[in-house]
Amino acid sequence: MKYLDCFRALARARTDQIVVTSAGNSSQAWWAATRDSEATFYLDASMSLSTMFASGLALARPELKIWSFMGDGAFCMNPGMLMVERRMNLPNLTHFLVSNRAYGATSNAGLPNVGDNDYAAIARAMGLERVFECRALQELERDLPALTAANVAGHTFMVLEVEPFSDAEQKLEQPPFDGPELKYRFGRHIEARTDCDVFGYRL
Amino acid sequence: MNDKPADVAARIADELAVCGVKLVASLPDNWLTSVIDAVDRDERFVHIPVNREESAIGLCAGAYMGAMGSAALMGASGFMTVIYAITKINYTYEIPLFLMLTLRGGVGDHHKHHASNSLYLRPVLDAIDLPYRIIEEPGDIASISRCYQHTRTFCRPMAVIFTRDLLRGHRP
Repeated sequence: MKYLDCFRALARARTDQIVVTSAGNSSQAWWAATRDSEATFYLDASMSLSTMFASGLALARPELKIWSFMGDGAFCMNPGMLMVERRMNLPNLTHFLVSNRAYGATSNAGLPNVGDNDYAAIARAMGLERVFECRALQELERDLPALTAANVAGHTFMVLEVEPFSDAEQKLEQPPFDGPELKYRFGRHIEARTDCDVFGYRL
Repeated sequence: MNDKPADVAARIADELAVCGVKLVASLPDNWLTSVIDAVDRDERFVHIPVNREESAIGLCAGAYMGAMGSAALMGASGFMTVIYAITKINYTYEIPLFLMLTLRGGVGDHHKHHASNSLYLRPVLDAIDLPYRIIEEPGDIASISRCYQHTRTFCRPMAVIFTRDLLRGHRP
Protein backbone atom coordinates (compact mmCIF):
# COMPACT_ATOMS: atom_id res chain seq x y z
CA MET A 1 0.00 0.00 0.00
CA LYS A 2 1.14 3.54 -0.67
CA TYR A 3 2.53 5.26 2.40
CA LEU A 4 0.44 8.41 1.94
CA ASP A 5 -2.74 6.52 1.10
CA CYS A 6 -2.34 4.60 4.33
CA PHE A 7 -1.91 7.76 6.38
CA ARG A 8 -4.83 9.46 4.68
CA ALA A 9 -7.02 6.47 5.56
CA LEU A 10 -5.90 6.67 9.16
CA ALA A 11 -6.56 10.39 9.20
CA ARG A 12 -10.12 9.79 7.95
CA ALA A 13 -10.70 7.18 10.65
CA ARG A 14 -9.26 9.29 13.42
CA THR A 15 -11.77 10.75 15.83
CA ASP A 16 -10.18 12.28 18.89
CA GLN A 17 -6.89 10.40 19.12
CA ILE A 18 -3.72 12.15 20.17
CA VAL A 19 -0.86 11.30 17.81
CA VAL A 20 2.89 10.96 18.31
CA THR A 21 5.05 10.61 15.22
CA SER A 22 8.64 9.52 14.88
CA ALA A 23 11.87 10.39 13.16
CA GLY A 24 11.61 9.31 9.55
CA ASN A 25 8.83 9.75 7.06
CA SER A 26 5.88 9.41 9.43
CA SER A 27 6.03 13.05 10.48
CA GLN A 28 6.02 14.22 6.86
CA ALA A 29 3.20 11.88 5.94
CA TRP A 30 1.02 12.75 8.92
CA TRP A 31 1.60 16.46 8.38
CA ALA A 32 0.67 16.06 4.71
CA ALA A 33 -2.47 14.10 5.62
CA THR A 34 -3.72 16.29 8.48
CA ARG A 35 -1.86 19.58 8.92
CA ASP A 36 -2.52 18.95 12.60
CA SER A 37 -0.70 21.57 14.65
CA GLU A 38 -2.08 20.84 18.13
CA ALA A 39 -3.08 17.25 18.78
CA THR A 40 0.05 15.72 17.26
CA PHE A 41 3.52 15.69 18.75
CA TYR A 42 5.98 15.42 15.86
CA LEU A 43 8.83 13.68 17.68
CA ASP A 44 11.24 14.01 14.79
CA ALA A 45 14.16 14.47 17.13
CA SER A 46 14.18 10.88 18.25
CA MET A 47 15.11 7.53 16.86
CA SER A 48 13.16 4.61 18.33
CA LEU A 49 11.55 6.41 21.23
CA SER A 50 8.20 7.61 19.89
CA THR A 51 6.24 4.78 21.46
CA MET A 52 8.03 5.14 24.76
CA PHE A 53 7.11 8.82 24.71
CA ALA A 54 3.54 7.82 23.81
CA SER A 55 3.49 5.24 26.58
CA GLY A 56 4.44 7.83 29.16
CA LEU A 57 1.71 10.09 27.86
CA ALA A 58 -0.84 7.28 27.77
CA LEU A 59 0.02 6.31 31.33
CA ALA A 60 -0.35 9.89 32.49
CA ARG A 61 -3.61 10.53 30.68
CA PRO A 62 -5.72 7.37 30.59
CA GLU A 63 -8.72 9.37 29.43
CA LEU A 64 -6.99 10.07 26.09
CA LYS A 65 -6.43 7.63 23.26
CA ILE A 66 -2.93 7.75 21.87
CA TRP A 67 -1.72 6.70 18.43
CA SER A 68 2.00 6.44 17.93
CA PHE A 69 3.84 5.93 14.65
CA MET A 70 7.27 4.41 14.32
CA GLY A 71 9.19 3.31 11.25
CA ASP A 72 10.74 -0.11 11.08
CA GLY A 73 14.17 1.50 10.94
CA ALA A 74 13.56 2.99 14.38
CA PHE A 75 11.95 -0.22 15.58
CA CYS A 76 15.02 -2.25 14.70
CA MET A 77 17.12 0.02 16.86
CA ASN A 78 15.12 -0.79 19.97
CA PRO A 79 12.75 -3.73 19.54
CA GLY A 80 12.96 -4.41 23.27
CA MET A 81 10.57 -1.49 23.69
CA LEU A 82 7.83 -4.01 23.13
CA MET A 83 8.75 -5.69 26.40
CA VAL A 84 8.09 -2.43 28.18
CA GLU A 85 4.89 -1.83 26.23
CA ARG A 86 3.71 -5.35 27.03
CA ARG A 87 4.35 -4.87 30.70
CA MET A 88 2.53 -1.54 30.73
CA ASN A 89 -0.21 -2.93 28.47
CA LEU A 90 -2.02 0.38 28.22
CA PRO A 91 -5.45 0.02 26.61
CA ASN A 92 -5.35 3.59 25.34
CA LEU A 93 -2.17 3.12 23.30
CA THR A 94 -1.89 1.97 19.70
CA HIS A 95 1.60 1.41 18.29
CA PHE A 96 1.67 1.65 14.49
CA LEU A 97 4.80 0.11 13.06
CA VAL A 98 5.17 1.68 9.63
CA SER A 99 7.15 -0.90 7.74
CA ASN A 100 8.63 0.50 4.56
CA ARG A 101 11.55 -1.92 4.75
CA ALA A 102 14.04 0.92 4.52
CA TYR A 103 15.55 3.81 6.42
CA GLY A 104 13.09 6.25 4.90
CA ALA A 105 14.55 9.39 6.40
CA THR A 106 17.91 8.67 4.84
CA SER A 107 16.78 8.29 1.25
CA ASN A 108 15.55 4.73 1.73
CA ALA A 109 18.93 3.35 2.74
CA GLY A 110 18.98 -0.39 3.26
CA LEU A 111 17.68 -1.96 6.44
CA PRO A 112 19.40 -5.10 7.79
CA ASN A 113 17.74 -8.46 7.26
CA VAL A 114 14.86 -6.69 5.58
CA GLY A 115 13.42 -9.67 3.76
CA ASP A 116 13.06 -11.84 6.83
CA ASN A 117 11.98 -9.40 9.52
CA ASP A 118 8.56 -10.49 10.76
CA TYR A 119 7.48 -7.68 13.05
CA ALA A 120 4.13 -9.16 14.01
CA ALA A 121 5.84 -12.40 15.00
CA ILE A 122 8.33 -10.47 17.10
CA ALA A 123 5.45 -8.75 18.87
CA ARG A 124 3.60 -11.99 19.50
CA ALA A 125 6.78 -13.60 20.79
CA MET A 126 6.95 -10.86 23.39
CA GLY A 127 3.46 -11.64 24.54
CA LEU A 128 1.47 -8.97 22.76
CA GLU A 129 -2.06 -10.12 22.10
CA ARG A 130 -3.70 -7.40 20.00
CA VAL A 131 -1.51 -7.62 16.92
CA PHE A 132 -2.74 -6.55 13.48
CA GLU A 133 -1.03 -6.59 10.09
CA CYS A 134 -2.16 -4.70 7.02
CA ARG A 135 -0.64 -4.87 3.57
CA ALA A 136 -3.45 -3.25 1.61
CA LEU A 137 -5.87 -0.40 2.12
CA GLN A 138 -8.80 -2.79 2.13
CA GLU A 139 -7.25 -4.69 5.02
CA LEU A 140 -6.63 -1.48 6.91
CA GLU A 141 -10.18 -0.27 6.41
CA ARG A 142 -11.44 -3.71 7.44
CA ASP A 143 -9.45 -3.65 10.69
CA LEU A 144 -9.95 -0.01 11.65
CA PRO A 145 -13.23 -0.58 13.53
CA ALA A 146 -11.58 -3.20 15.71
CA LEU A 147 -8.56 -1.01 16.08
CA THR A 148 -10.54 1.96 17.33
CA ALA A 149 -13.04 -0.02 19.39
CA ALA A 150 -13.56 1.21 22.90
CA ASN A 151 -12.90 -0.78 26.05
CA VAL A 152 -10.30 -3.09 24.59
CA ALA A 153 -8.07 -4.91 27.00
CA GLY A 154 -4.43 -4.10 26.61
CA HIS A 155 -2.52 -2.14 24.06
CA THR A 156 -2.57 -2.58 20.30
CA PHE A 157 0.26 -3.17 17.86
CA MET A 158 -0.40 -2.76 14.16
CA VAL A 159 2.08 -3.39 11.38
CA LEU A 160 1.44 -1.27 8.30
CA GLU A 161 3.33 -2.62 5.30
CA VAL A 162 3.81 0.35 2.99
CA GLU A 163 5.89 1.27 -0.01
CA PRO A 164 8.87 3.52 0.65
CA PHE A 165 8.50 7.18 -0.19
CA SER A 166 9.14 8.05 -3.82
CA ASP A 167 11.74 10.66 -4.62
CA ALA A 168 8.95 13.23 -4.92
CA GLU A 169 7.44 12.22 -1.58
CA GLN A 170 10.81 12.56 0.10
CA LYS A 171 10.48 16.26 -0.66
CA LEU A 172 7.23 16.64 1.25
CA GLU A 173 7.29 19.43 3.78
CA GLN A 174 8.50 18.61 7.25
CA PRO A 175 6.30 19.83 10.11
CA PRO A 176 7.55 23.39 10.44
CA PHE A 177 7.60 23.79 14.22
CA ASP A 178 10.49 24.68 16.44
CA GLY A 179 10.70 22.32 19.40
CA PRO A 180 9.43 24.64 22.13
CA GLU A 181 6.52 25.86 20.01
CA LEU A 182 5.48 22.28 19.39
CA LYS A 183 5.75 21.50 23.08
CA TYR A 184 3.49 24.38 24.06
CA ARG A 185 0.95 23.90 21.29
CA PHE A 186 0.65 20.23 22.15
CA GLY A 187 0.72 20.71 25.90
CA ARG A 188 -1.95 23.39 25.83
CA HIS A 189 -4.09 21.07 23.75
CA ILE A 190 -3.67 18.31 26.33
CA GLU A 191 -4.63 20.75 29.05
CA ALA A 192 -7.70 21.86 27.12
CA ARG A 193 -8.80 18.26 26.63
CA THR A 194 -8.28 17.27 30.26
CA ASP A 195 -8.16 18.86 33.67
CA CYS A 196 -4.39 18.60 33.92
CA ASP A 197 -1.73 21.27 34.28
CA VAL A 198 1.29 20.44 32.12
CA PHE A 199 3.39 23.56 32.53
CA GLY A 200 2.64 24.69 36.05
CA TYR A 201 0.37 27.51 34.93
CA ARG A 202 -2.64 27.57 32.67
CA LEU A 203 -3.56 30.27 30.23
CA MET B 1 15.95 6.18 61.41
CA ASN B 2 19.52 5.07 60.76
CA ASP B 3 21.50 5.14 57.53
CA LYS B 4 21.22 1.53 56.39
CA PRO B 5 20.66 1.14 52.64
CA ALA B 6 16.98 0.37 53.09
CA ASP B 7 16.50 3.45 55.22
CA VAL B 8 18.35 5.64 52.76
CA ALA B 9 16.19 4.19 49.99
CA ALA B 10 13.04 4.92 51.95
CA ARG B 11 14.13 8.52 52.42
CA ILE B 12 14.83 8.88 48.73
CA ALA B 13 11.38 7.47 47.96
CA ASP B 14 9.78 9.88 50.42
CA GLU B 15 11.57 12.78 48.82
CA LEU B 16 10.42 11.75 45.37
CA ALA B 17 6.85 11.52 46.58
CA VAL B 18 7.11 15.02 48.03
CA CYS B 19 8.15 16.27 44.58
CA GLY B 20 5.04 14.80 43.02
CA VAL B 21 6.89 12.07 41.19
CA LYS B 22 4.53 9.28 40.15
CA LEU B 23 6.37 7.43 37.38
CA VAL B 24 9.80 5.99 38.10
CA ALA B 25 11.49 4.31 35.13
CA SER B 26 14.55 2.30 36.04
CA LEU B 27 17.33 0.11 34.89
CA PRO B 28 19.36 -1.44 37.67
CA ASP B 29 22.78 -0.68 38.97
CA ASN B 30 23.84 -2.87 41.86
CA TRP B 31 24.14 0.13 44.12
CA LEU B 32 20.53 1.08 43.34
CA THR B 33 18.96 -2.20 44.35
CA SER B 34 17.51 -0.87 47.58
CA VAL B 35 16.13 2.23 45.92
CA ILE B 36 14.51 0.22 43.13
CA ASP B 37 13.03 -2.19 45.66
CA ALA B 38 11.67 0.68 47.72
CA VAL B 39 10.05 2.34 44.73
CA ASP B 40 8.68 -0.93 43.42
CA ARG B 41 6.95 -1.73 46.72
CA ASP B 42 5.61 1.76 47.21
CA GLU B 43 2.08 2.40 45.99
CA ARG B 44 2.77 6.09 45.61
CA PHE B 45 4.71 5.24 42.44
CA VAL B 46 4.24 3.49 39.15
CA HIS B 47 7.54 1.71 38.69
CA ILE B 48 8.40 0.71 35.13
CA PRO B 49 11.54 -1.39 34.64
CA VAL B 50 12.74 -0.65 31.13
CA ASN B 51 14.72 -2.57 28.53
CA ARG B 52 17.35 0.12 28.08
CA GLU B 53 17.99 3.52 29.55
CA GLU B 54 16.85 5.45 26.48
CA SER B 55 13.39 4.01 26.96
CA ALA B 56 13.29 5.67 30.37
CA ILE B 57 14.05 9.02 28.77
CA GLY B 58 11.17 8.59 26.32
CA LEU B 59 8.74 7.48 29.02
CA CYS B 60 9.55 10.40 31.29
CA ALA B 61 9.26 12.91 28.45
CA GLY B 62 5.83 11.60 27.50
CA ALA B 63 4.70 11.56 31.12
CA TYR B 64 5.69 15.21 31.40
CA MET B 65 3.50 16.10 28.44
CA GLY B 66 0.65 14.41 30.30
CA ALA B 67 1.37 16.33 33.51
CA MET B 68 2.70 13.33 35.42
CA GLY B 69 5.82 13.77 37.53
CA SER B 70 8.59 11.32 36.77
CA ALA B 71 12.15 10.29 37.44
CA ALA B 72 14.62 8.16 35.51
CA LEU B 73 16.81 5.97 37.70
CA MET B 74 19.94 4.38 36.25
CA GLY B 75 23.61 3.74 36.76
CA ALA B 76 26.41 5.85 35.43
CA SER B 77 27.10 3.46 32.57
CA GLY B 78 23.46 3.58 31.56
CA PHE B 79 23.56 7.34 31.57
CA MET B 80 26.48 7.27 29.18
CA THR B 81 24.20 5.57 26.65
CA VAL B 82 21.45 8.20 26.71
CA ILE B 83 23.21 11.33 25.53
CA TYR B 84 21.48 11.12 22.18
CA ALA B 85 18.02 10.77 23.67
CA ILE B 86 18.50 13.61 26.14
CA THR B 87 20.01 16.05 23.72
CA LYS B 88 17.47 15.27 21.02
CA ILE B 89 14.27 15.06 23.04
CA ASN B 90 14.82 17.10 26.16
CA TYR B 91 16.96 19.79 24.64
CA THR B 92 15.14 20.14 21.33
CA TYR B 93 11.68 20.43 22.87
CA GLU B 94 12.80 21.84 26.24
CA ILE B 95 11.21 19.04 28.18
CA PRO B 96 12.29 18.70 31.80
CA LEU B 97 13.87 15.48 33.01
CA PHE B 98 14.90 14.39 36.46
CA LEU B 99 17.71 11.84 36.53
CA MET B 100 19.02 9.81 39.45
CA LEU B 101 22.43 8.29 38.75
CA THR B 102 25.27 6.56 40.55
CA LEU B 103 28.74 7.99 40.93
CA ARG B 104 30.41 4.93 39.51
CA GLY B 105 34.16 5.19 39.39
CA GLY B 106 34.14 7.40 42.44
CA VAL B 107 36.05 6.83 45.66
CA GLY B 108 34.92 3.57 47.23
CA ASP B 109 34.00 1.86 43.96
CA HIS B 110 36.13 -1.28 43.82
CA HIS B 111 35.12 -2.29 40.29
CA LYS B 112 38.00 -1.63 37.94
CA HIS B 113 35.75 -1.69 34.91
CA HIS B 114 34.23 1.61 36.01
CA ALA B 115 37.46 3.43 35.26
CA SER B 116 35.72 4.96 32.24
CA ASN B 117 33.02 6.46 34.46
CA SER B 118 35.68 7.71 36.83
CA LEU B 119 37.29 9.54 33.97
CA TYR B 120 34.35 10.66 31.88
CA LEU B 121 31.01 10.76 33.70
CA ARG B 122 31.34 14.28 35.00
CA PRO B 123 33.13 15.63 31.92
CA VAL B 124 30.29 14.28 29.78
CA LEU B 125 27.69 15.93 32.01
CA ASP B 126 29.63 19.17 31.73
CA ALA B 127 30.01 18.77 27.98
CA ILE B 128 26.24 18.76 27.46
CA ASP B 129 25.67 21.44 30.10
CA LEU B 130 23.60 19.11 32.24
CA PRO B 131 23.63 20.34 35.82
CA TYR B 132 24.05 17.83 38.62
CA ARG B 133 24.37 17.56 42.34
CA ILE B 134 26.23 14.82 44.14
CA ILE B 135 24.35 13.31 47.07
CA GLU B 136 26.89 11.94 49.53
CA GLU B 137 25.24 12.11 52.91
CA PRO B 138 21.76 11.21 54.12
CA GLY B 139 21.32 14.83 55.04
CA ASP B 140 21.71 15.75 51.36
CA ILE B 141 18.69 13.72 50.30
CA ALA B 142 16.40 16.62 51.01
CA SER B 143 17.96 18.49 48.10
CA ILE B 144 16.28 16.09 45.68
CA SER B 145 13.13 18.21 45.77
CA ARG B 146 15.01 21.36 44.93
CA CYS B 147 16.81 19.70 42.04
CA TYR B 148 13.55 18.26 40.74
CA GLN B 149 11.92 21.68 40.89
CA HIS B 150 14.91 23.13 39.05
CA THR B 151 14.13 20.90 36.07
CA ARG B 152 10.57 22.20 36.00
CA THR B 153 11.53 25.83 36.36
CA PHE B 154 14.13 25.82 33.61
CA CYS B 155 12.65 23.12 31.37
CA ARG B 156 15.90 21.20 31.29
CA PRO B 157 17.30 17.95 32.62
CA MET B 158 19.14 17.79 35.92
CA ALA B 159 20.75 14.84 37.68
CA VAL B 160 21.36 13.91 41.25
CA ILE B 161 24.22 11.46 41.60
CA PHE B 162 24.35 9.08 44.51
CA THR B 163 27.67 7.90 45.94
CA ARG B 164 28.42 4.39 47.05
CA ASP B 165 28.83 5.50 50.62
CA LEU B 166 25.31 6.84 50.61
CA LEU B 167 23.67 3.85 48.95
CA ARG B 168 25.69 0.97 50.35
CA GLY B 169 27.40 2.32 53.41
CA HIS B 170 30.95 3.48 53.89
CA ARG B 171 33.65 1.20 52.54
CA PRO B 172 37.37 1.63 53.27
